[in-house]
Amino acid sequence: MSKYKIPLFLVIFCFLLAAPLLVAQVETKYHSPAEVAASLKSLAGKFPEISRLKGIGKSFGGQDILVLEIAGRKNKSEPEDRPAVLVVANAEGIHLPGTEAALQLAESILTDYGQDKAWTDFLNRNTVYIIPLLNPEAAAAYFSKPRQERTFNGRPVDEDNDGLVDEDGPEDLDGDGLITTMRVKSPEGRWMIDPREPRLMKLADPKKGEKGEYLVYTEGLDNDGDGQINEDGPGGVDLNRNFPHDFEYFQKRSGLYPVSEPETEALLKFMFDHNNIAMVINFSTENNLLNMQQTGQARVGADRVRVPRQFASFLGLDPEAEYTLKEIVDVLKSSGFAGGMEVDESLVATFLGLGPAMNLDRSDQAIYEELQKEYKSGLKEVGLDYLEKRARGVGKGSLAAFAYYQYGVPVFSFDLWQVAEPKKEDKKDELTPDRLRSMSSEEFLSLGEEKIAAFLKDRGAPPNFNATMLIKMVQSGQVTPARMAEMMEKMPRPAGATAGEENPEAYLLAYSDNVLKGAGFVNWKQFKHPGLGLVEIGGFVPFIKYTPPADQLQAALRYHVQYSRKLMMKLPVVSIRETKIEKLGSDLYRLTVYLQNDGLLPTSLAQGRRALTSYPIRVSLRLEGKQKLFAGRPVELVSHLQGGEVKKLEWTVQASKGSSLAVRVWSNRVSPVEKMIKVD
Amino acid sequence: MIRASKIILLIVLAITLSGLSQLSSSQSTRPRPEVKLSFDHFYDHSELTSALKELQKAYPDLMKLESIGKSYQGRDIWAVIINNPATGPAERKPGFYIDGNIHGNEIQGAEVALYAIYYLLKNSGRLEFVDRLLRDRAFYIVPTMNPDSRDYFLHLATDSNSPRSGLVPYDDDRDGLLDEDGPDDLDGDGSITYMRKRDPKGNYKTSPDNPLVMVPCRPGEKGEFIILGSEGLDNDGDGQVNEDGPGGYDLNRNFGYNWQPNYVQRGAGSYPFCWPETRAVRDFLLAHPNIMGAQSFHNYGGMILRGPGAKNLGETLPQDRQVYDYIGKQGEKILPGYRYIVIYKDMYTVYGGTIDFTYYLLGIFTFSNELDFDQYAGTQPAAQRRGAEEEDEDVRSRMFRAGASLEEIVYHQLVLMGEQLVEWKPYKHPLYGDIEIGGVKKMGRRVPALFQLAETCHRNAAFCLYHADQLPRLKVENVSLKKLENGQYQVEVRIANDRVTPSISSQAVQRKLHRPDMLRLEGNTRLVSAGILTDRFRELSEPLQVRKNYVQVDNGIPGFGYVDFRLLVEGSGQVNLIYDSLKGGYLEQKISLK
Repeated sequence: MSKYKIPLFLVIFCFLLAAPLLVAQVETKYHSPAEVAASLKSLAGKFPEISRLKGIGKSFGGQDILVLEIAGRKNKSEPEDRPAVLVVANAEGIHLPGTEAALQLAESILTDYGQDKAWTDFLNRNTVYIIPLLNPEAAAAYFSKPRQERTFNGRPVDEDNDGLVDEDGPEDLDGDGLITTMRVKSPEGRWMIDPREPRLMKLADPKKGEKGEYLVYTEGLDNDGDGQINEDGPGGVDLNRNFPHDFEYFQKRSGLYPVSEPETEALLKFMFDHNNIAMVINFSTENNLLNMQQTGQARVGADRVRVPRQFASFLGLDPEAEYTLKEIVDVLKSSGFAGGMEVDESLVATFLGLGPAMNLDRSDQAIYEELQKEYKSGLKEVGLDYLEKRARGVGKGSLAAFAYYQYGVPVFSFDLWQVAEPKKEDKKDELTPDRLRSMSSEEFLSLGEEKIAAFLKDRGAPPNFNATMLIKMVQSGQVTPARMAEMMEKMPRPAGATAGEENPEAYLLAYSDNVLKGAGFVNWKQFKHPGLGLVEIGGFVPFIKYTPPADQLQAALRYHVQYSRKLMMKLPVVSIRETKIEKLGSDLYRLTVYLQNDGLLPTSLAQGRRALTSYPIRVSLRLEGKQKLFAGRPVELVSHLQGGEVKKLEWTVQASKGSSLAVRVWSNRVSPVEKMIKVD
Repeated sequence: MIRASKIILLIVLAITLSGLSQLSSSQSTRPRPEVKLSFDHFYDHSELTSALKELQKAYPDLMKLESIGKSYQGRDIWAVIINNPATGPAERKPGFYIDGNIHGNEIQGAEVALYAIYYLLKNSGRLEFVDRLLRDRAFYIVPTMNPDSRDYFLHLATDSNSPRSGLVPYDDDRDGLLDEDGPDDLDGDGSITYMRKRDPKGNYKTSPDNPLVMVPCRPGEKGEFIILGSEGLDNDGDGQVNEDGPGGYDLNRNFGYNWQPNYVQRGAGSYPFCWPETRAVRDFLLAHPNIMGAQSFHNYGGMILRGPGAKNLGETLPQDRQVYDYIGKQGEKILPGYRYIVIYKDMYTVYGGTIDFTYYLLGIFTFSNELDFDQYAGTQPAAQRRGAEEEDEDVRSRMFRAGASLEEIVYHQLVLMGEQLVEWKPYKHPLYGDIEIGGVKKMGRRVPALFQLAETCHRNAAFCLYHADQLPRLKVENVSLKKLENGQYQVEVRIANDRVTPSISSQAVQRKLHRPDMLRLEGNTRLVSAGILTDRFRELSEPLQVRKNYVQVDNGIPGFGYVDFRLLVEGSGQVNLIYDSLKGGYLEQKISLK
């Protein structure tokens, strides 16, 4: 593993090397949809032994969505019977770097098969599926003229509900090949020119005596004469809002219903047909290792529930009181109502009709927090730690949310790159929402009571809400730092803190000026608009936030390809560590089997168990001839094994000396194990 | 020639205008082949197919038959479209949709749907009410959504509760094997009944009133039997019996509104519309956006249900609720003993049901009937006779209970003469040893006895036709024209609706589900300005944004109401005024500008 840690000096060296190229390589070469297909074909052709290229379906516009399956052949089991990692890029059509990352990741693991022992073993034991381009129609927008940012697929949608579809899209009026912005003076205007930076627009704040002067539109005409400009352009549905967890209905961009789109359906069908997928790596604008904010509002105390009256009465619980799931599990276990069933929190949640989970399960959160530390320190080493600042949590209806809450596997979303903020002097210890968001509960608590008290005072918290209280809430998991950050952002700022607010786009302009040497911004120019009269056209160049310069892209890809590989290596590996046969009497034996998880991750996430999609591990004892089970069940169910955990299983069997007992270990997301044990 | 075509045109016009279909006269030259269907019979899929084809042959002018997709096992899912094209194309009339048998074991819904088709066709040209419906409405009918499980239920050994699912193999017990341990018809009588074993320590005994009835022992009482569940074996040797039978999911939890995954809503499927049957119906519904009313058929319990299926959706919008209540309460009169109730409140929670998809996302007023109730309980469902608090559990326990009650056995013995009853018989079970097998057969519960099927069909079809009649019926009324001094015309027109259903549901208005109604001018004319008259005494009006010679009418025309429009128009000669509602119909009115 250490082989893949990039020495710090090397990174610095790379940066130094890249620095002079910054200007020259403003335009990065990204793979167009056709080139993605071509390079997948060439990879599959180059490594025919271990890779297969298949289609999982077609986009709305009829383009093939391809998956590259990578599996070593030094193993009899079929690729779909092995624990697998699914890598998806471009679920958000605008995210071009993701596709590059997926392609590089594919190439790097293909090349290392047979070269690197650990990787060769991994690929002989596991399967990797790579889907580098889920939304080809959106990605194509980057390569077409005029260039326009686009996240949605090719389905015609009636955005303005007038019975017509796609009848009023934007036009490149000034002929510069880019769809930018129009500003026009209007008495209805809510925008004004930012006095601090006249190239930028800001919303006028009447409370400060500011007056709006401008209306702002995307560049285009009122094609359908309904008085609105560009209100119903070509497409489409945002695929990354079309997945079925916390789906937003009645939003045209989300689609009519969850999984309404051919691209999302193709992916989900693939995932459910390949129930062996045990981890998802997703390249999108979300980064769920840096920002653990989930789709919905975190509900404080969500895991304390009321028990419906009809159940409460026979369990001897108070229907008015709230209980944790754990407490209900204990009551159920001791009540005897459970019969022989394995009662866990997931079963109780389903039984009580609690609805879908909306927060990371606490035990899963601990896993994420652990990985977050590792990931962050890696980012810091290569100078990418600025990513924390604008990291986005998991969105409603997103692939990442679906993968965790419904598919039930660990999912890691990487945004790879952001426009870096110009360096500012930080007040060293100030707890900003951004800093809070990136903190784990433990890190927050380690600040100590004094600092937390100072922070509360600074934020103008009411005196009865003191540090001790907050510490208790964090300890009990009622509130997380991310949730606090969210609350802070909603609270009015304490007096005196508002002075000198910066335009939210200032950093982008600085990036365009300094790094892109001005290439990221089109200066405002007058234009005679047929409908609006004299307007000005200008503003940020499309895709500026999503397409880094070549050197920055390479640094981000290099690290994330390596880190993705590191995550894959953490998959659980179940084995039979030891078996014992003890003679208890004539032809009566006790069989003991020690089951072990050699991997770093558990065999299933708590959410995978609750969602019923990660099956329990079935350890079955197959008897032959005159063998008979004396004690124990023919199939023992092991709910899960934590990383490194060992579980002991016992059976008493009547068997003759010299005969064999067959033990089979099976679960959908774990490598199957079979072992014959000789009775002697 | 020209004269002849003019005459034909006049006839067509006369038919259209008279409002009464003159089908019989135009058809008199070609006598229809007579189709005779009986409703003391359950149709399997091939019988249903031939019945539909025969009807289509006899009524080619009124009925279209199309396959809207194939079931998992490759059976056609049939849809019937009924419309009198002489009175306008189907897509320009408010549509009424019916489906049945989404749950494979709930078979009689298909007979009700077939009966509705048969009734409409048979009575065309005979009954004024039917001709009026065929003139004003289009019908879209899917008799069985689940033909695989329908045939399974009719032809293979099963019980009255299964297969509810479709027949895509499904891993109920999550062991990696599909459908590997279903029930087994051990006694070979074509039904899955129950297994019991004599046991002096058992918790059941036979009733002193009737030895066929099993009753639970009271504390301290000596038992005679233990009940071992449905007839079956441990086919896969995992220590459990019948834990993974055919299918194992629920098509009526697989629709795309308020859908929740399997761990919240059992049987939901991996994602909305993941099964071929739900997908076919979805596509059919989306292809016919003029559908404004809908009806699903299930069994059982005697209920006229409306949504919401789950509490999280809140109450139905008040204006729409009034429409539901108006039709639902009439339904209670058409269907004696049936209760008009709300799914989540009065029955149980359903996420991802058909009825919420059609109402909440497509803006269609939808009911779902639970057909039939225990005949031996008289005309009132048992639940209604007892205290209201017990209803919740009662509905469920009556639908899925195991043991037969005394009154049920009496009904089986004296009314059905034992046809659907298996008396306990000994059997040697490989796991349980000496047991007895017996109980009520699959057709003995939830499905009406054949002597009652026709009544179920007629009354429920009557409810459908009543609902179809209550879809919006728009008319142009009170057209007035005034020439202004500047040469423009002020046109006032009233669009009225004499039925309870509005031309757009409140849900569709609020959520912008589909395009609004449109009022349009065609001809040598220009629409200058338009408004809705909100107070005709004070002449107050709400301005409408004029587009390319049309305006959008966002709220449509209310039920039992009207909207007065005031238009400012330029032009000359004959002008066509068109009111075009996606779900409320299509009107044309000629106006002479002079």
